[in-house]
Amino acid sequence: MKFLPYILRNVMRNKLRAAFTGMSIAVSLFLVTVLYAYLNVQDEQGEKSKKFARIVVTAKQGLTFPVPIAHVDKVRAMPGVKAAVPLSWFGGKYKDEKIPFGQFATDPKQIMEVLAEYKVAAGSLEKFQSDRGGCMVGSRAAEQRGWKVGDNIVLKGDIYPVTLELTIDGIFDSDESSDQLESLWYHFAYMDELLKKERSQSAGNAGTIFVKADSPEKLDDLMREINLKFANTDRPVRAVTEQAFRQMFTEMLGNVQSYIRNVALAVVISLMLVAGNAMAMSMRERTREVAVLKAIGFTRFIVLSLVLVEAILIAVAGGAIGVLGAKTLFAMRDVVFRGIPGIAGFYVPWSTVIFGMALAAMIGLFSGIIPAWRAAQVSVVDGLRKVV
Amino acid sequence: MSESARANVVELRGVSKEYMRDKTPVPVLKDTDLDIPQGDFAAVMGPSGSGKSTLLNLVAGLDRATTGTVTVAGEELGAMSEAQLTRFRSHHLGFIFQLYNLMPVLTAFENVELPLLLTSLSRRERADHVRTALKIVGLQERHDHFPRQLSGGQEQRVAIARALVNDPVLLLADEPTGNLDSTAAHEIMDLLQQLNEDFDKTIVMVTHDPRAARRARRMLHLEKGTFVETEVDELETRR
Repeated sequence: MKFLPYILRNVMRNKLRAAFTGMSIAVSLFLVTVLYAYLNVQDEQGEKSKKFARIVVTAKQGLTFPVPIAHVDKVRAMPGVKAAVPLSWFGGKYKDEKIPFGQFATDPKQIMEVLAEYKVAAGSLEKFQSDRGGCMVGSRAAEQRGWKVGDNIVLKGDIYPVTLELTIDGIFDSDESSDQLESLWYHFAYMDELLKKERSQSAGNAGTIFVKADSPEKLDDLMREINLKFANTDRPVRAVTEQAFRQMFTEMLGNVQSYIRNVALAVVISLMLVAGNAMAMSMRERTREVAVLKAIGFTRFIVLSLVLVEAILIAVAGGAIGVLGAKTLFAMRDVVFRGIPGIAGFYVPWSTVIFGMALAAMIGLFSGIIPAWRAAQVSVVDGLRKVV
Repeated sequence: MSESARANVVELRGVSKEYMRDKTPVPVLKDTDLDIPQGDFAAVMGPSGSGKSTLLNLVAGLDRATTGTVTVAGEELGAMSEAQLTRFRSHHLGFIFQLYNLMPVLTAFENVELPLLLTSLSRRERADHVRTALKIVGLQERHDHFPRQLSGGQEQRVAIARALVNDPVLLLADEPTGNLDSTAAHEIMDLLQQLNEDFDKTIVMVTHDPRAARRARRMLHLEKGTFVETEVDELETRR
């Protein structure tokens, strides 16, 4: 600790260089933190979803294949099932929005039993249940578009050849999960009726079935039984936990985890080179000073340590700006990213912050190794001869 | 106590030093013997390439003799490892350089404190030592100034305070007035002389400046790697 003031002075010796090095680390680690946060949020949300004791049933062939709507009632009748609803992605276009938000056809009678973590104002659910053309929207979806109860919404089908004309019957919210807060739920029966009119082959099918089990302990048995129940039918299914479903959904986007890790690795290596170069330049300018330190009794180990700690401090300072900047920015997402869809459930977990800071320290350590080693090897006699 | 009765701080016995230049050995010091007793103030003079700096480097443990033994404060430097030599320097030697070599990012106080960071002294004890050293060199009022805020003479005083602060047995000065005007040079030599006379510091000073050399107790001339000693008349000539 007694060397710290000297190290800090050296960190700030060339303020512009320190600022540029620190900021390059900050910007890059901001990016890495956000990318890793995406992975960690998926994992954390998956972990959290365990307590909701839910199973997701898809067609055995995969998520893009439908599940017959008749399966819903058969699942509901199984022991250990508390509730079950279809949840079908509509993907319709709303006004000029280019990216469709979550619009799900479901069963209004049981949806809030299955997704019990969401709450709605008294009377809204009953109104929704009795209103075939009604819908309920998540609080963030409503906020982003300025919707209120009673507003009419038109969603033009892209995947399905129908247009939905809906009235908002309620706005749901949750303190426990933000997954559905940018989504909209409407009657499966309403969409199915329109599909039948259009003689669409999609009629009578759901995308997935969300099942609420009596307890988390029963999930494994229940999944096995659901799989068995439909195993010998022409429409076999695959039942997985909600956590596994999330993982499956992410994997549909490609090997995202691998992309993210490769990008992060490339960023880290680039940063080590940038920071290492800056540190090497700094140490070259100080060869004479290092020689003096060694002349007056600083051992190689102390010189090595001083340079390494300096490199780590610069990297950690830059890392703190980037990593904590990302944490703060997404903590204030409702203000900073107001109106931007897809951000609702995103945050930077503390585990990612710790990972980012450890990465910053590692970048500092590795960027400092060669300059530190060279400084430790400086010959006092040669170093003192050096004028610049 | 007469000088002859005092223990030697520096003893060189049969010391030779050769450097390799294009695979050819170039002798710099040749079979040199030297005794520097406690309390001595020796000025080493000689033309460029005569071996002055090499001598200083050998005595400081910054370089190793090709043959012979270099003993400083009773320790034979040739027998020590690099790490032992480094520790030896921090405990027993003080360095004064021509270009002062202060750390530009540290204040005068912090520069003087630097060698003490290697000791187990507490913060308060270190501060006491630093204040004492700065007082000796007359710069206690400038303790919070950075080197760039000091004149050349003041910088050299800070460097002397840094060399003194751990109370070394031997001060090694390499052209301490070489970068100073005559007034500042005179003041620095006054200070070195005071350290020698009042604090009994043993000093070995390499210099090109005959006026500075005359302030020493004795002058040692090096020519082509061999000593030619010239005694200096006491006090009258020194002042």
